[in-house]
Amino acid sequence: MRGLSVKRLFYGLGLAILNVAVIWCAIYLWGVQSYGLLALLLLGALALNALFIFPGGYPYRYLAPAAVFMILLVIYPIVYTVYVALTNYGTGNILTKEQVIQQFENRYVLDPDAGNYTFRVYENAHSDRIFLFTAPDGRLLLGRSGELEDVTGRDEADVIPPGYSELERRDVIRLSTELSALTFEYEEEYQLRMRSASAFALYIKQYSYDAGRDELVDLISGVVYKPVNGAFEAPDGTRLTPGFRIVVGLRNFQRLFGNPQITGPFVRVFLWTITWALLSVGTTFAVGLFLALLLNDPHLRFRRLYRSLLILPYAVPAFISALIWQGLYHTEFGVINRALEFLFDTRVPWLQDPFYAKVALVILNLWLGFPYMMIVCLGALQSINSEMYEAALVDGATTWQQFRYVTLPLLMVSVAPLLVSSFSFNFNNFSVIYLLTRGRPPIPGAQTPAGHTDILISYTYRLAFESGRGVDYGLASAVTLIIFLITGTITFINFRFTGALEDVRENV
Amino acid sequence: MMKRLSGLVVVLTVLLAASSALASVPGELLIWVDSERFPVMQEVGAQFEEEYGIPVRVQEMPFGDIRDNLGVVAPTGEGPDIIIGAHDWLGQLVTDGLLMEIDIADESLFLESSLDAFTWEGKRYAIPYAIEAIGLFYNKALVGETPPDSFEELITIGEKLKEQGKYALVMPQPDPYHTYPFFSALGGYVFAEDEDGVLDPLNVGLANEGAVKGFKLFERLLDEGIMARATAYDTMMSLFQNGDAAFMITGPWAFGDVRSAGVDYGFTRVPSIEGQYGRPFVGAQGFMLSAFTENEVLANIFLNEFIATKDTMLAIYEQDPRPTAFLPAAEIINEDPDMRGVTEAAEYGVPMPAIPAMNAVWTAWSDALELVINGQSTPEEAIKDAVEQIVATIKESM
Repeated sequence: MRGLSVKRLFYGLGLAILNVAVIWCAIYLWGVQSYGLLALLLLGALALNALFIFPGGYPYRYLAPAAVFMILLVIYPIVYTVYVALTNYGTGNILTKEQVIQQFENRYVLDPDAGNYTFRVYENAHSDRIFLFTAPDGRLLLGRSGELEDVTGRDEADVIPPGYSELERRDVIRLSTELSALTFEYEEEYQLRMRSASAFALYIKQYSYDAGRDELVDLISGVVYKPVNGAFEAPDGTRLTPGFRIVVGLRNFQRLFGNPQITGPFVRVFLWTITWALLSVGTTFAVGLFLALLLNDPHLRFRRLYRSLLILPYAVPAFISALIWQGLYHTEFGVINRALEFLFDTRVPWLQDPFYAKVALVILNLWLGFPYMMIVCLGALQSINSEMYEAALVDGATTWQQFRYVTLPLLMVSVAPLLVSSFSFNFNNFSVIYLLTRGRPPIPGAQTPAGHTDILISYTYRLAFESGRGVDYGLASAVTLIIFLITGTITFINFRFTGALEDVRENV
Repeated sequence: MMKRLSGLVVVLTVLLAASSALASVPGELLIWVDSERFPVMQEVGAQFEEEYGIPVRVQEMPFGDIRDNLGVVAPTGEGPDIIIGAHDWLGQLVTDGLLMEIDIADESLFLESSLDAFTWEGKRYAIPYAIEAIGLFYNKALVGETPPDSFEELITIGEKLKEQGKYALVMPQPDPYHTYPFFSALGGYVFAEDEDGVLDPLNVGLANEGAVKGFKLFERLLDEGIMARATAYDTMMSLFQNGDAAFMITGPWAFGDVRSAGVDYGFTRVPSIEGQYGRPFVGAQGFMLSAFTENEVLANIFLNEFIATKDTMLAIYEQDPRPTAFLPAAEIINEDPDMRGVTEAAEYGVPMPAIPAMNAVWTAWSDALELVINGQSTPEEAIKDAVEQIVATIKESM
């Protein structure tokens, strides 16, 4: 009984701390008007509380952390990507319409000919402030609660009421943000606003937004701008920057499929992506398995040493390895070509020729990927019962037959799902491609920026970040969704076809 | 892609931290700087705080991340007042609505080209502190004290070097930025400019007669073995450091590496083609103002009175020597021949276009260079295709 209550106290305390944290975050989210996230947070917190309060929720307690992270790190990004794919989010359209209107409303144009109005500020004990301006033409102006009064010719002691003392420059700078909020109307159209630590100047407000008609009016030229496709547009087609974010529906997808510039290389890129993923998995698995078999042989001396050494390529960050390999592959100065020249008197245009560039990529990926496969296979080999081999030996099986009919099938049970996930990983292996060839060599005469070794994801990157308007998140998200559909389908079919998941379950 | 991810991480961190300590607050200044400028800005910030009682917080982040993080963080109201950045970010940041015009108190204090680089549609967007432009490094031990003035001279020197098994010239390849002097010498340009300095993204002049001529010279240098082929930046650097190449075209960022290798070098402008000097791209770095600042006037005072001073500019220089954009400091800084060389090279340059359409230009242009370097296409063909691709890509996204 006693133990139980301590446990309950512990749970209660933990839940209380969690709830405090949730409420704190909720207040913040409310403050920044992030209502979607707020709703998600509150629902999540409610669900967590329910799990701990109602006994029926007991089994789900252990699933809850995984579910939370799944929602946060997998589902939320997917939902967000879908949302972005339906918007025009990208260079020139990253702010909300309200933010853009606010920026235009706060835009003031300095009247360059009007000159500076030097000023002095006086403050009383209640922090009421009075300004004394000297206009460029020598007039003296008294500024008080937004009103200006011409006091030219009068004495300072005469205009400044008792109890006010002049602020020093030091205090003017300290208070400049507060002081700059004080503005004075000047001859209807002008505003006298703070310009520097010593001067005010005349400004004209440039834009005014009419919420009822949803129009932005240029107060100087009189041009009326209306919101069109995420920017304020004048009747003559001039568009104001910045633009704003709007939902554009399926327009990104239409751009994608309706444009031969983009669809043209799609099939070619897609085929190479599949080839690349298959070759990557195939080569790394073959080499990894071969080495694992060698290292699994108890007669081999220094096994641990070899194993440690062979894991090294996996331990070095791919970013570094890829750059080193780039040097090794150099046609004139690279070590590989120098060796080839010395041995066979030939040079290979590793990164220039479309075929060899692909070979170079597969070799690099083999270097980066075989240790992973080796580790996986080593683990799987350990789990194969040695009695199986004894039985095979009794039946007179050759080494090859042992491998083919005992080792491989049993190995595949645990390794097959990893091969499928490795396929998906390499399908989207952006870093290797980008670091070694950046999708190049280019295709002569191509109308699109796709190179010979571009895979879908690196091609997406080019579309998104090397587009004519700068960065195009909307379009990139649309392509990402399509890639997601493709990999998702392939993975699904793979799992069904290999029956990988079922087998694992039977074995457990 | 990683950058965008890190942007997401920033958002999440900001949301989780829910900390107002990271935001622009009225009456306080928050400044984002890179590691090289961080110590100086901390010092200047502390001085300002001591003198005026205004808290100045300086936050350090990698240079390239500043741009991306600003776009993610500023619209949420959590951004800085002032950032450090490069002029070629201008197009993106201004069209995104992330920057505010700066009221520069005294423009005569700055190198005109640096102000021009930070001008967008007639408005100034930064207090510049440094400029950069590429030029010609030469190894005095190999070619003596006087650098060649024209490519014709350079080729003559190169013929002799070839007999010794050395290259005359190395430069990063394929790299449009470094190759631009070849294109610009005889009249090539990236985007045509109207009288107001506004660029026309559909008028690309990289395949005009002069540009093709320059590009052909580039090909000739490769074919005749005067210039090493397909050298990435690191390969180029080691060839020059080891004395296997006598000339190298690159910029002020290479001074450190060249010096540390003990090469007796000089720096001058890129040689002329048919009597015309190529115009390198001029880059500039400066302090910009976030559109979401709550302290417009205060930040302007801080920049005009505390950053645009000889002391601050010299301190920035000492931390990371770059040619200065601030004329009162130039006299001292340009005593260094390297800095003087870059400043002179920049005088002949043009500001690198900052419009977002440049993203499309770099890719296609770089592909054209690579095709020629690989010998898979002629200069005329390659650059003509590239320009068609650039115009098509820009049109598609308009």
